This record gives sequence, C-alpha cells and structure tokens, in this order.
Amino acid sequence: MAFPFLSFLKRSGLKRSGDPEAPGVHPQPFWSFRPRSDRESGDAIVSNFALHMFPAKVSRASLAWKYSFWLGTGSAALFLLLILSGAPLLFLYVPSVERAYSSIKDIEFVVTFGSWLRSVHRVAAHAMVVVVCLHLVRVFLTGAYKNGVGQGQRREWNWVIGVFMLLLTLLLSFTGYLLPWDQLAFWAVTVGTNIAASIPFIGPQVRELLIGGRAIDQPTLIRFYVLHIVVLPGALGALFAYHMWRIRKDGGLAVTDKEALANERQEAPAVSTKTYTLLGIARGTSPVVRATALSRLDTMVNAVPDLIRRANLVTLGTIAIVSILATFIRSPLEEAANPLVTPNPAKAPWYFLWLQEIVTDTTVKIGSFTINGAFVGGVILPGLLVTFLILWPWIDRSPKEATGVWFDRTRRGQNLAFILLCLFILTLTFVGTVMRGPYWNIYWPWEIWPEIPGRI
Amino acid sequence: MTERKDRRDFMMKAGLGAGVCGLGLQAAASLRSLVPNVSYDAPTTVKLGLPTEFPDGLKFLPDQRLFVFREGKTFHAISAVCTHLGCTVRAEAMSQPEFRELDGVKTRLTHRFMCPCHGSKYEGDGKPVSGPAPRALAWYHLSISVDDGSLVVDLAQEVARDFRLTLA
Repeated sequence: MAFPFLSFLKRSGLKRSGDPEAPGVHPQPFWSFRPRSDRESGDAIVSNFALHMFPAKVSRASLAWKYSFWLGTGSAALFLLLILSGAPLLFLYVPSVERAYSSIKDIEFVVTFGSWLRSVHRVAAHAMVVVVCLHLVRVFLTGAYKNGVGQGQRREWNWVIGVFMLLLTLLLSFTGYLLPWDQLAFWAVTVGTNIAASIPFIGPQVRELLIGGRAIDQPTLIRFYVLHIVVLPGALGALFAYHMWRIRKDGGLAVTDKEALANERQEAPAVSTKTYTLLGIARGTSPVVRATALSRLDTMVNAVPDLIRRANLVTLGTIAIVSILATFIRSPLEEAANPLVTPNPAKAPWYFLWLQEIVTDTTVKIGSFTINGAFVGGVILPGLLVTFLILWPWIDRSPKEATGVWFDRTRRGQNLAFILLCLFILTLTFVGTVMRGPYWNIYWPWEIWPEIPGRI
Repeated sequence: MTERKDRRDFMMKAGLGAGVCGLGLQAAASLRSLVPNVSYDAPTTVKLGLPTEFPDGLKFLPDQRLFVFREGKTFHAISAVCTHLGCTVRAEAMSQPEFRELDGVKTRLTHRFMCPCHGSKYEGDGKPVSGPAPRALAWYHLSISVDDGSLVVDLAQEVARDFRLTLA
C-alpha cells in the first residue's frame, strides 16, 4: 500500500489477492481502530508506533473510571497541551529584561489569539499541578505503590519516579512564573530564591548559582527561561517515558494485582489462541485450564479499542475543558517588574502559599540563637515531606492484598494520616490565598482590605 | 590466552575510563561556566546627595533600599531589606516620636517598619518585634565624600546601633 498511515481509513481484513494464508503470517500488515478479531487488535499494537507502548490486552478492572479517575492520563494530556500551546509562545516571547514584559503585553493585546494561547498555557499549567497532586493522592489511597503478584515488580520505584515528576511539575510552573517579568513574577522569585539562600553555609552560593548573580536580573531571566523550555520539560519527558515503561514491567495498574489475588487460579475454558502443555489441560473431557485472572478471557479486554478509546476520550476531554476555560479566564499581567517597590501583600503562586504560610510561622528562637523561618519552613519541612513521600513504600508494612484497593482496612491509619496532611496543606493554601491581606495580616474573605498608599 | 584476555580487559577498562572522564569533565566545565566570575551588580558605595537635601526625620531611597534618618546634624542609615526573605519593608510614621537609648546614644525614633511579604514588624531602630524576621534590620556606614561633600553610604559595611555621622 502506498500510504500506510491512511490504512485505518480502510476496513481492514478485506481479502486481497496475493495475501499469504499460512498460519502465523498476517494477511494484513496494517492495523485498524475497529478490529474485528483479537489478531487484528494485536496487530494494531504491534504495527503502530504510537500504540506500541501499550500492552495488547489489559485487565477490565484497570479501565474503570472509579478506580483511577484516569488522572495519570489527564496529567499526560495536560503536559501535551502545554507543549503544544508553549510552541507558539516560544516564537513570540523575548527572554530579555528590556523586552520580556512588552512581548507578553504584545501576546496579550496585539497578537491574534495570543491572549487565548497564553491562557491555555496558564490554565493547563495550573490544572497540571492540581491533577498531578490528585494522581498522587489516588495512588496513595489505593496503595498502588505496592507489589502484588507479579515477578520482578518494582512499583515502589515507579512511585519514587512519580514524586520526582511532581517536583518537576512544580518547578516548571515556578520557572514559568518569572517569564512575564511583571511585579507578580519578580517578587515571587525574590522570595523563592531567598528561601534557597537561607540554607546555612551554602545558601548564598546556591542562590547566586540559581539567579546567576546577587540580584534578580538578566542572568536570572535567561536561566529560568532555559530551565522552563528545555531542561525541565526534557527531564519530565524522560521520566514520563520511564514511568510508562515501569507500568508495563509491573503488569499494569495495581488493581490488576487485586483481581489476580482475589481469584487465583480458577478453572477456565482454554483460550484457543494460546498454547498449553498437556499437563495444563489434563483433567476433564473438554479442554479446561487452571488459569490466573490475568490469562482469563472474562477479566481481560483488548487494548485496541477499549483502552485506546478511553485514553483518547480523556485526552480530548482535557483539551476541550482547558480550551473552553481559557476563553473565560484571562491571564493576569501586573505592572512591569520594579525592584524598588514590593507589592503589598506579595504572594507566591497559590500552590506555594501553604509554604509561604509555614515560612511565616516557623522562625525559631532558642535563647539568643535564631533560625530563620525560611530555612525551617522553606527547606527542612518540605525536604522532610518529600523524603517521607519517597520512603513511604518501604515504611508501609501492610499485606500485599492491600495492593490496588481503595481505603483498604489494613491501611486505615496511614490513609487517615495522609488525608489529614492533605487537609492541613489545603487549609494553609486557603488561608494564604484568601485570608492574607496587606502586611500579611489575617482578613476574613468578606472584610475589605484597608487602603495602603503605594509608596511611603 | 591469559595475555590476550588481559589486553582486552585493559582496553575495555581504558575505554570506559576515557568515556567517564570525558563526560565528567564536560559536565564539570558546563556547570562551572554557569558560576559568574564577574558581578555586574550595582556598586556598594553610593553617593546619596548633599546632606542639606535630606529632610529632618526620614528619607527613603528606593534605589539603595535604604532609610536615611536625620536629627539636626546627625545622620544614620537603616536597610529597608527584610531579614526574612528580602522584601522591601515599608516605614510607618508613629503618632508620637519615641526617645530611646541605643547602645548608649539617645535617639529619637519616628517610624516603625513593616514587611508586606510575611508581616514582620520592626521598631524604629530595626529591632524585630513580631513576625518571622530572624534578625534586626542592618545599619550601614555613612560618610561625607571629600570631593563634593555629599553623603556616602557603604552598603557592604554594617555598623553598630551607636553609629552616627555628625556634621561639623
């Protein structure tokens, strides 16, 4: 066929003269989204580059909406959308302190569809932070970092990879925050990099390396820009590939293990496309095998179309929601960065506001010795949190039957602790976002902030 | 036979070592290039203008992020950079000036300082009283330039709270 990539337009399996007929030789070297047999379904996975990362068959349970909510697929769709919407912005944005702000202003007010593209990029970035966090919560609450039945499973390592992917997502968001070079950007980065500077002994050097000098200036902008468009997306893409590869190596989602553990080795009709040893079908008059859930026909479905259709729906749905939201939500652009005036109040991006709350409250005084809250709340506490997250699969001693089960009874205590931690972080985020006014004083949401003159 | 195996073994290790060294040095050189050798930051010794241009009380200099206080013929300068995370603090005039001994020098305090980022509050001499600020605001050295008589601040030289520049 002259155009193999068009082959899906054609109903496959139509007999053509000259097709070989011998067993094991495929009559059609191409594939279809609408396979009419298991073989055609398998052919799709084997022949198509985009599909070859998927298994030929997946467990029915792992496709359930109410198990995974497809949050991982949603995160990947958002990452894809961020790359797509970032590409035109790359042509329009100029990473120089003299021109960055005006180029964003051009994108916002001059470029056709520029404002919408920027909003898509921004909404998708915020959504990605949310969805990736929810994905982590789902994996924790289902004990999906645990190993169930398979040989050579290393789900705990995939959890570790996932934690690093979450950190990369936050860093991507934070580096993107500086690029407009407006007041919001400048002071968020001032506070963020001064947290790094609060590390004892090496802090000032770390900050100098981060911002390329002692003040936030052109070297800072170009550093954050290169990190944002090359280094961090590249690292996230590489980890994404590894994350997916590990899912395959671990035998699919953790709920598959639950299925396998729940009905281990039942008698089932032999699968005609499989080969068995004679011992496997020794008993009875009709061919019956003792098969695990993973090789029984009623628990497994073909990846094409069942998995592919759902993944496409999630991806399209995500893109649709973000695109529509972006028409309603305009991206803010404050005054141009002014190192001389700190806005009042000066806030970090919302997903860091719980940290800003903590750095406000954690300055420790022991006698005449004072530890800066920036170091306690900005370095030690988040560091401990990430360390605990990374080590949790080895701390969790629950039985393997708790793998891939929502709120398993054996994991009740840790699930509760985890949920409380999440609620604590959410509360601090809410307080920081809604209730902090000028001079970081507490105001109720319905209270009006006092007028503070812009300069003294 | 062993001689041959040793040779292959040696070549393999030499190749591996060369690869590791090559990549390692490339990586080290790349990282080192990102550490700046020259700072193009603003100079730390700055002329602030003639002393007569300063009003009695407080003047805020946004470029230096500095408060300069004048009480008749004596001057002192306090940094406006919050010691918590480096935001610029704002001065708020007090309704009644307060007189206080600072390291033995009687001083009139007219303002207090508040940070918009995390709510640190400082007294008029820069002492933190609430909020997360771990240290007092820095006091900087003031002098008079010999060529044109203008006030000069040295932002690299912190001084104690009894420092005053008194004009003749």
